[in-house]
Amino acid sequence: MKCEEVAELLPDYLQANLRADQLHNVEAHLEHCADCSEEVVIWKKLSLLPIEQPGPASRERFEAMLQAYQAGRSSPPARGSEWPKRASSWNVFHWLRSPLGAAAWSVALLAIGIFAGAHLAAPKPPSPDLADMQKQLTSMKQLVVLSMLQQQSASSRLEGVTWSTRDQQLDPQVLTALLHTLRYDTSVDVRLAALDALGRHGRQPQVRQGILDSLQEQQQSPLVQVALIDLLLEWRDPEAAQRLQALQQTPNLNPTVRQRAEWAKSKLD
Amino acid sequence: MLQVRDGAGEMLGVLFDRYQTPLFNFYSKLTGDRMLSEDLVQEVFLRILKYRQSYRPGTPFRAWVYQIARNARIDHFRKFPKQIALEPEMIPPVIPADSAQERQEVELLQRALQQLPEEKREILLLCRFQELKYEEIASLLGCELNTVRTRIHRAIHELRKNFQHLTQRTMLKRAEATATENTPPRGGHYEV
Repeated sequence: MKCEEVAELLPDYLQANLRADQLHNVEAHLEHCADCSEEVVIWKKLSLLPIEQPGPASRERFEAMLQAYQAGRSSPPARGSEWPKRASSWNVFHWLRSPLGAAAWSVALLAIGIFAGAHLAAPKPPSPDLADMQKQLTSMKQLVVLSMLQQQSASSRLEGVTWSTRDQQLDPQVLTALLHTLRYDTSVDVRLAALDALGRHGRQPQVRQGILDSLQEQQQSPLVQVALIDLLLEWRDPEAAQRLQALQQTPNLNPTVRQRAEWAKSKLD
Repeated sequence: MLQVRDGAGEMLGVLFDRYQTPLFNFYSKLTGDRMLSEDLVQEVFLRILKYRQSYRPGTPFRAWVYQIARNARIDHFRKFPKQIALEPEMIPPVIPADSAQERQEVELLQRALQQLPEEKREILLLCRFQELKYEEIASLLGCELNTVRTRIHRAIHELRKNFQHLTQRTMLKRAEATATENTPPRGGHYEV
């Protein structure tokens, strides 16, 4: 047997899928051919590669996603609940048999025909189903974010913030949750990440106002304060200079923050 | 899976326990990026929930999951094209091997695998680690059964060449290092 012939059978040999005669031929070849037997060796060696384990937060994230999904599913449908009651109390078939009903029925059929013709002839707009599905997916992701921001562990909350950065458009509820995180989260890392995420949505008045307000409030961490100052400078917000002035007047302000505020003010001027 | 399909979301937890590690390994060995792999695993389960109605009873569930997994990865890289070339250093150095020699072999093997073009790496991972049958891989990749066999053989062939090349290079380096250590400093003999 030649190497080319063995090459064809080798994948099945490795999966133990060969007939007895084929197996015999391949094994006889492998005994003499170093190149082909090396290929079997490397295949076997692949089993040495370790099985890696995902991080411990993986399960938590999955639970949060599942919870959010189920919460979304169990909410009652907004429309349609009244319809069956009305339909049952209304004798539809009886009404259709009357002359007026028959006329209405004909007009309705004509309208459906015209509508269908116009619709089929016109160029197709993007599928509403697809748009709806994308919308649902986005809202579900945002539910995940909301749920993760309320987790006990800082790493889960951090992941929640990271998840929020995946969508271009954020729900006002998610933005509010992120602003809340920026102000009150116990972990500085999470607060910094939230600020970073909010920075992408600076065009929204809600975010802009929220960031300006967080500078005024008693933000404990100098790191976050400096990041806030930098963001305001980047946005060149008209109110920034006034807010920085007010910040500088805060008693017991960290010297680095005071210096940064001074520098930012000079840049704004 | 049928229970998940029919709305029992809790049953997805069972599937998660069963598939999260194989899927994570599929992604981490393919991309060399742990964080991205974890994200993609979550995305796969989100998609299982969303598209569970598209699962047809009687068809292999594993193949369906890997179809979703491949699509999730393709969509990810379509949205965020790769900017950095994959470096072997990106693989986490978690190598619980028994001996130093085995540890080194594993490391070289990982590097040899990462040097393969992505489609060759993927097909090897699917048949060697995810234990998909060739028929399942053929339907997953949308090609003939014989094409799968040929591709697998080519991938093994290239992996062997990469591995041999890396082993030779390591041995040469080691020989050079030993030679440098054993050479006495010049003139040292006369200084005594």
